[in-house]
Amino acid sequence: MVNKNQDNLKELFEKFLSAEQAAKAIEDVQKAEQILDENPTPEPDDMLIANIKAEIALHLLPHKTVTFKHIVYKAMAIAAAIIVVVSISLDLFQNDRSPNKPDVLVTASIIPRAIWESNDIASDDTKLVIFTTEAEQISDEFSNLRSGRSESNINDAITELEMELIEIKGDFWKG
Amino acid sequence: MIKSDELAQVIIGCKNGDAGCFSQIVDMYASRCYGYFYRLTSNKDTSDELLSILFAKLVEKINTYRGGSFESWLFTISSNVFHDHLRSKQRYTKLLGERQSHLESEITEFKMSDGDTIDKLQIQLSRLDDETRELIMMRFYSELSFKEIAKMRSEPIGTTLSKLHRGLKKLRELMER
Repeated sequence: MVNKNQDNLKELFEKFLSAEQAAKAIEDVQKAEQILDENPTPEPDDMLIANIKAEIALHLLPHKTVTFKHIVYKAMAIAAAIIVVVSISLDLFQNDRSPNKPDVLVTASIIPRAIWESNDIASDDTKLVIFTTEAEQISDEFSNLRSGRSESNINDAITELEMELIEIKGDFWKG
Repeated sequence: MIKSDELAQVIIGCKNGDAGCFSQIVDMYASRCYGYFYRLTSNKDTSDELLSILFAKLVEKINTYRGGSFESWLFTISSNVFHDHLRSKQRYTKLLGERQSHLESEITEFKMSDGDTIDKLQIQLSRLDDETRELIMMRFYSELSFKEIAKMRSEPIGTTLSKLHRGLKKLRELMER
């Protein structure tokens, strides 16, 4: 390894020493470095080198995972944004196609369809009065049952209540 | 020896987190850095540990390398790793004198902690003061020029040259006895 440092020792030493002293100094340096060359140190174990490389690879791994996570998060955000935009666009598109069509309210009604869609107001009013009265009666009986105020047998009352419900249902679905 | 442009490519790979490029750096410099630590500590186990720490630091700090001599940068870190080790060791031994006497007792045993014999050079190196020994090892293993070493140590080149000359001359005399 002598002269590996690419120094011009003569030029360097002669800046500070006489030519004779410089020559002696160069000899000292070169001889000592030769001694160092002739006494090599042990080499690091292959296992040590393998461990160092493995540690480095492990250390670098989280960086890649974080990068991957960022990509996934970005992709998810973009996908979510696309879904929202498409939904809004479809909604607007459908509204544009039928601008005069009223909104259809989809609800569950307790009033039978036959009454709701009927044009016979006089007949429907009567039926509605009967329906309301019977519903109130059932409600009262149910309250009595819950509060224990009913004088009749509970089982009989429930059976009677069920029969009334079936009857009401039959009457009104028939129209 | 690797060409400087090839080394530059490997360093760019390291900066991009390429484990393969770090492996190349380990292959290129592990032997020299290990020799540096071994000659300074006289202990194989400690040298193993310091070499591992060095390359862990290299991974951490690679993005702080801003060109110039890579050897100079790497051996500056090596020197810091060694000094950190000395400081932690001194916390245990408390006094420098205790450390020196401990080192001398190790030398008289002519044995390493793991059973390896210490060579004559290691014994004679231990007779030099810490700074001179480190300077000689830095010069030998880093393969840096006197000018680069002086710059690394932030001292005039004449000072570095003088210290190294005296140290090498003394080492030569010790070895020729």
